[in-house]
Amino acid sequence: MISNQLNLLSKEEIIQKFENFSGNFSRKNQYFDILYDSYESLRILKTRSEESIVSSQNSGAAARTYVGYWREYSFQDQSGLLDLMKKIPSVSDKGDLIQEFEGWKTDTTIKLKIDPSTVPLEEKVERVRELFTFFQKFDERIINPAVSYAEHLMKRIFVNNEGSILSQTIPRVRLFLQPIAKEGATVDFDYFSTGGEMGYEIFDEVMKLDLEQIANNSLDMLKADHCPAGMLPLILDPDMTGLVAHESFGHGLEADQVLRDRSYLKAYLNKKVASEICVICDSPAVPNKLGSYFFDDEGIKSEKTTLVKDGILKNFLHDRMTSSKLKAKPGGNGRRESFQHPVLVRMTNTFFESGDHKLEEMIETIDRGVMLVRGYFGMEDPLGGGMQCSSKKGYLIEKGEKTKLLKSITLSGSVLEFLQDIDAISKDEAFFHAGTCGKGEFDFVPVTSGGPYIRAKKGLISPG
Amino acid sequence: MGQEILDFIEKRLKAKKIEAYDILIKTKKNHENIFLKDSVDSFREVQSMEYMIRIYNQKEEPGMGVIHSSELKEERLDKIIDQCMTLSKINKTTKYEFPDKGLYNDIKTTESKIIKDPTSVLDDLSEELNSCIKDEKNVVPTFGRLGVIIRENYLRNYKGINLSDESTYLFLEFAIKAEEGKNLAEFWDVNLYKQIAHLDIQNRMKHWAKLAVDTLKAKQPRSKQDATIVFPPKILMHAINPVIGYHATGQAHFEKVSSFEIDKEVSSPNLTIKDNGLLEGCLSTFPWDGEGTPTRSTILIQDGIFKNRIYDQRYAILENTKSTGNGARTMDGNVVNNITNLEILEGDLTYEELISNIKEGLYVEKFSWLNPDRLSGSFGTEIRNAYTIKNGELTEPIKGGNVSGNVLTMIKRCLNITKERKFMQNCLYPFMSFDGLIISS
Repeated sequence: MISNQLNLLSKEEIIQKFENFSGNFSRKNQYFDILYDSYESLRILKTRSEESIVSSQNSGAAARTYVGYWREYSFQDQSGLLDLMKKIPSVSDKGDLIQEFEGWKTDTTIKLKIDPSTVPLEEKVERVRELFTFFQKFDERIINPAVSYAEHLMKRIFVNNEGSILSQTIPRVRLFLQPIAKEGATVDFDYFSTGGEMGYEIFDEVMKLDLEQIANNSLDMLKADHCPAGMLPLILDPDMTGLVAHESFGHGLEADQVLRDRSYLKAYLNKKVASEICVICDSPAVPNKLGSYFFDDEGIKSEKTTLVKDGILKNFLHDRMTSSKLKAKPGGNGRRESFQHPVLVRMTNTFFESGDHKLEEMIETIDRGVMLVRGYFGMEDPLGGGMQCSSKKGYLIEKGEKTKLLKSITLSGSVLEFLQDIDAISKDEAFFHAGTCGKGEFDFVPVTSGGPYIRAKKGLISPG
Repeated sequence: MGQEILDFIEKRLKAKKIEAYDILIKTKKNHENIFLKDSVDSFREVQSMEYMIRIYNQKEEPGMGVIHSSELKEERLDKIIDQCMTLSKINKTTKYEFPDKGLYNDIKTTESKIIKDPTSVLDDLSEELNSCIKDEKNVVPTFGRLGVIIRENYLRNYKGINLSDESTYLFLEFAIKAEEGKNLAEFWDVNLYKQIAHLDIQNRMKHWAKLAVDTLKAKQPRSKQDATIVFPPKILMHAINPVIGYHATGQAHFEKVSSFEIDKEVSSPNLTIKDNGLLEGCLSTFPWDGEGTPTRSTILIQDGIFKNRIYDQRYAILENTKSTGNGARTMDGNVVNNITNLEILEGDLTYEELISNIKEGLYVEKFSWLNPDRLSGSFGTEIRNAYTIKNGELTEPIKGGNVSGNVLTMIKRCLNITKERKFMQNCLYPFMSFDGLIISS
């Protein structure tokens, strides 16, 4: 079989070919970039009925130019480079439509404590089996523990006609524990998940955890009550805090929604959007988190963007297009799921900064309210400013104390009203929950979201 | 091209004396326009090929190795096959058998217009989309994505299965905004469509524009503990597919988490649900499933009674039965026991009659995201576009507030089902009314 896939080339050869091609387009006339994307991954899943070990790898490139609109072509084969001349048009007067930046160079690889590629596969599988066996033997009501380990090595090479030549290799590891419990007809679970730009040391960190507690958390869910429905004082744990920052608030700050006139936050730049104790940021430059990288998929260097400071909306999140049209500085938020997906404005690590309250004090002041724990999922409403964030569980707060355990809870209502109602933020260092974000229902990228505990005077909740 | 790659991979597998294997190749071509307001902001053309190899190692403790790759250079392919063999030796799975050749139905899964010239189809539909939305005076588009996709699958196993299949479908994401003073409202939808006709752009734009304009005047719903609510096909898809689809699998039964027992009542007697992999017009309609087993139609719930489970090869062997053609492939090539398409049989009432039977209730066109927990069936979700039903008529628009419920109990409280049904991705569903749901506001 004749094969001339791009991944047969060395990094240097890819850069050389990309530079040669990029040289066909003068920056004065048009903006052009090309991204090589490859990954290798391993996923081990163990459940009661299944053990699966899947190794995966894929690679390809996406080339594009701006000629009044983006024209993009994605391919896997070196012959795709020859097709590019037919697919990517040359023009003479579109160069200033996209803001020009000075080209830069980097070649970065994350150094890991324990590189997963140096660990025998047998050992990884055995660790997953050990965790599975622990939960399986813990209590007969745990009918189906699920343990999932995934490692992912992403390599991206970026070249554009501004002279940027960039390369980054980013390893990401995730671990997920879900002991499903059953008693009578009731089936429920709690879960634990962690991940980031890290290596095989993730297992050592998990072993430091109280695994019995994770199992007991699932068993406790069997006796959990439904939450009350209505407007109540609320405390959000760091997971849920992050979910509100990301899902309900952050999506409205993606500047493509501003360009579309589709963000309820467009009119709020430099205006008050949250209580003055709130500081909310997004940063792909936070080291070692799941949403971190050195440059985005448009070759923009990663930087922290302060979204809200002292309750005032300070910035939106940008890619090259939105920063050009809105005359802003991009912080590296143009991301692709893979070479098969478009660049979109995306969040990275989105978080509330810490405040100055103790959690105990925050609970003590609530006569009747609810603490939402373990952010589960949410959905954006960039135009309407609505909120849907669900927690896996929660606690009723009565007379200043956490009392009953509650089943999953949905938080909804107006995001801005909720943010204005935040009256306490805990001192705890921001915690980053690792997850995956889709824009709409597709284009999934790794992200984290988090913060400390926050308290709101009121919020609408219902059983979820 | 697909057969050539199959030949090449199989030759290498045989050279290494691998006895039990299958190879799945997937190719995809996507032509897509992304719109900023009413203009094309991005045109994308994407071509990709990937393959999955499964090697089964039949030893005392059998093992399955699964590899997903696009490598085609011989030396690299050899390494990949070696790696897959290693995975199969380390893995401990349950007993497995690759399926034998079966009798496959001849099903139409493509539209020749798309195969012939996907770019022209994309251009024509984009033009129609813009022209139709311009006709709607009180709304503007804010953004959209329209994709025309051609997919080819090739499957071969060591038992002589050698299959190929081509399919086409479309993707439309679109957001329409209405504005009155400082008041903003939108209707936003993301969906896959099997056929061009299903897009029905003119009527769809009219309907979405009305929803956006009406939502300008939307109020919060009133809280109610035992609410009657009508759901359209898309909401039913989000509710029923993950929960009923999961509880009907052999996997859920084997793992002792299924709520369904054969021949036991699980829903209102007016409800009949089939899993139907042969349903022309649905997205997951193929002659064969991800393992090469012929697809078919299986009754899950008949007149409220649970009748059959759906199986892939693994769970069929574990439960000593036959696969029902419900082995679906994940992105990375693993096989999971899953639904193909779900079909709810039509009811007795027209849509107008169903609404007119309700004295007080809600019709919800769109939630934020109805994402039920598949194990427990419980959900809670925010209303985005809805109407109050009063004395048999849709009255004031509603936005905000939550609806909570449980899909497993909701299907026991199905009041009525319409005669009209709509294709919605991998479903053919009617409109249905339920009581016993909770509205919080």
